[in-house]
Amino acid sequence: MVYDAYKDQVYSIALYYFHGNASVASDVTQQVFLKLMKDFHNFRGESAFSTWLYRLVVNTCIDTGRQADARVVSMEPHMSEMVATPGSQEDDAAQNQMAKSVQSAVSALPPAFRAAILLRYFEDLSYEEMARILNCSIGTVASRLSRGHRLLAEKLSNLNSRLGGKER
Amino acid sequence: MLDTHPSDRLAAYLDGELPDIERNRVEAHLGTCARCRHALELVRSGRTALQHLPIASAPDAIWSAIETSADFRTRRPPAVSLVWRLAAAVLVLGIAASVYRIWSTRNVTSWQVMALQGSPVAGSRRLSGGESVPSGKWLETDASSRARIVVGSIGSVTLEPNSRVRLLSTDASGHRLALGAGGIQASISAPPRLFFVETPAGTAIDLGCEYQLHCDRNGTGMLRVTSGWVALEWKGRESLVPAGASCRMYAGRGPGIPWFEDAGDGFLRALGDFETHRGESLDRILAEARTRDTLTLWHLLSRVEAGDRVRVFDRMATLAPLPPGLLRDRVLELDTQSLKKWREELAWTW
Repeated sequence: MVYDAYKDQVYSIALYYFHGNASVASDVTQQVFLKLMKDFHNFRGESAFSTWLYRLVVNTCIDTGRQADARVVSMEPHMSEMVATPGSQEDDAAQNQMAKSVQSAVSALPPAFRAAILLRYFEDLSYEEMARILNCSIGTVASRLSRGHRLLAEKLSNLNSRLGGKER
Repeated sequence: MLDTHPSDRLAAYLDGELPDIERNRVEAHLGTCARCRHALELVRSGRTALQHLPIASAPDAIWSAIETSADFRTRRPPAVSLVWRLAAAVLVLGIAASVYRIWSTRNVTSWQVMALQGSPVAGSRRLSGGESVPSGKWLETDASSRARIVVGSIGSVTLEPNSRVRLLSTDASGHRLALGAGGIQASISAPPRLFFVETPAGTAIDLGCEYQLHCDRNGTGMLRVTSGWVALEWKGRESLVPAGASCRMYAGRGPGIPWFEDAGDGFLRALGDFETHRGESLDRILAEARTRDTLTLWHLLSRVEAGDRVRVFDRMATLAPLPPGLLRDRVLELDTQSLKKWREELAWTW
C-alpha cells in the first residue's frame, strides 16, 4: 500500500524539517496523504509517482511553515519530543546527544537548504528529480546541497566546540 | 582548470552528479586550491553527520486520523473505487520505480553487491543473490545476514551482521563507502588512496591492505589492520595503522593513537587511560614501551603538550636512536619532514 511504503520517509522529512516537532510532523504527514487521495485523479503519470509525492511533501511543509510564521507559532519541540524514534531508549546518551546536535543543526538551516538536504538524504533522489520537485534548476540543487552541507558542518563544529568546552 | 572556485558544485562532485569533463576540472582545481579542499571536507563532514539522523517511524495515530478525518469521510468515493485507485497507485508506483531504476543504473555508477547469508537490504529492496546497486543507496544487514560488496577490480568488502553502509561513489578515481554502524572487513589490493570508508570519527584510507572496521551508532569505532597500512584522517589529524596494530576512533575527536596488539597489558591499560582520562598514564606508557611501541610514541609526539613531548622524545630516542641528519629541536617543533623521516626509519622495527 502506498501509505505503508512512504509513511516513514514522509514523516521523517517533516519531522526534521520542523525542528523535530512530532506533532507538526504528524499533521503534515496526515495532510500529505489526504491530499494524495483527494487529488490522485490529477496524477497523469507525466512524472514519477515519487516526484509527485515529494512535491506534495515539500509544498505542505512550506505552507505549514508559512502558516506557523503568520500565527507566530513556535516550531521548537519540547526536548522530550526530539528524535523520538523506536530503539532510541536503547541507545546510549552519546548517540542521543549526537542525533540531537545534528537535528538542531539541520533545523537551523534555511528552509531551501533544509528541504534539499532532507530529500537527498532520506530518499537518495537524483539531482534531476530533486530539481523537478523543488521547481528549480539542477545547478540550484547542487548549490543548495553544497552550501547546506557546509553550513551544517560549521554549525556542528561550533556545537561540538561548546560541548567540548563544557566537558573540560 | 577553472577560473572560479567550484564551491557550489562540491556536493555534486561528491555525489557523482557532475559530467566527466566538469568532474575533471573540479579535481584539477582541488589539486591546487587549499581553500576548496577545506570546503570539500566541510561538505563531506556535513554529509557524514546526517548519518546520525535516524528514519523515524510514523505514529499509528496518523493513519487513524486519516481514516476518521471529516475531510476524508466527506470526500471519500465509494469503497470499490478507493480500492481501484489504490491498486492503480501501486501499479503506477511499480512502473515508475522500474523506469527510474533503469534510468538510474544507466546514469549513476553502480556497485556489485551479493548476499552471503540471509537477505540484506539495499535501499528498500531485499537482496537474495548478486545485484547491481546504484551509488547513494544504503546497504543494511540484520542479525542473520551478511553481504559482500565488490570494490571495482581492486578488492571486496564484507558487511557484517547488524551493519549499515552507504555506497557513496565508485569510479576509476576511487571507491568510497560510509559506515553508519556495525562492521566491515575490507580486502584491497591496489595502489594507495583508492578506497575510502567514511565514519563519523574520520575517514579510513586504504594504503593497500586488509582490515576490519567497526563503528557504533554514536560514531565510536575501532580499526584493526591485518595486512598493509591504513591511514585514519579527521580534520587534519592522521593516525597511521600498520598490520598487527589497532586504533580506536572517537566521534567528534577523530582517530586515537594506534598500538600493536602484542604490546604488554600494562602498556595497553595505560594507553586506554591516556585516551580517556590522560592524568598520570603517560608515565606508565613510557615506562612500559618496547622498541616496537615507538609506533604509539611517534603518534603521541604530536598529541601531547610541549613539556610532555620532550619526555616522549627522550624515551623514543632511548628505544631507537634518532637517525643521522635529524635534529632533536626540529622533531620537537613537529617539523613535518623530520617526523616523516623518523617514522620511515622506525617503521623497520614495526
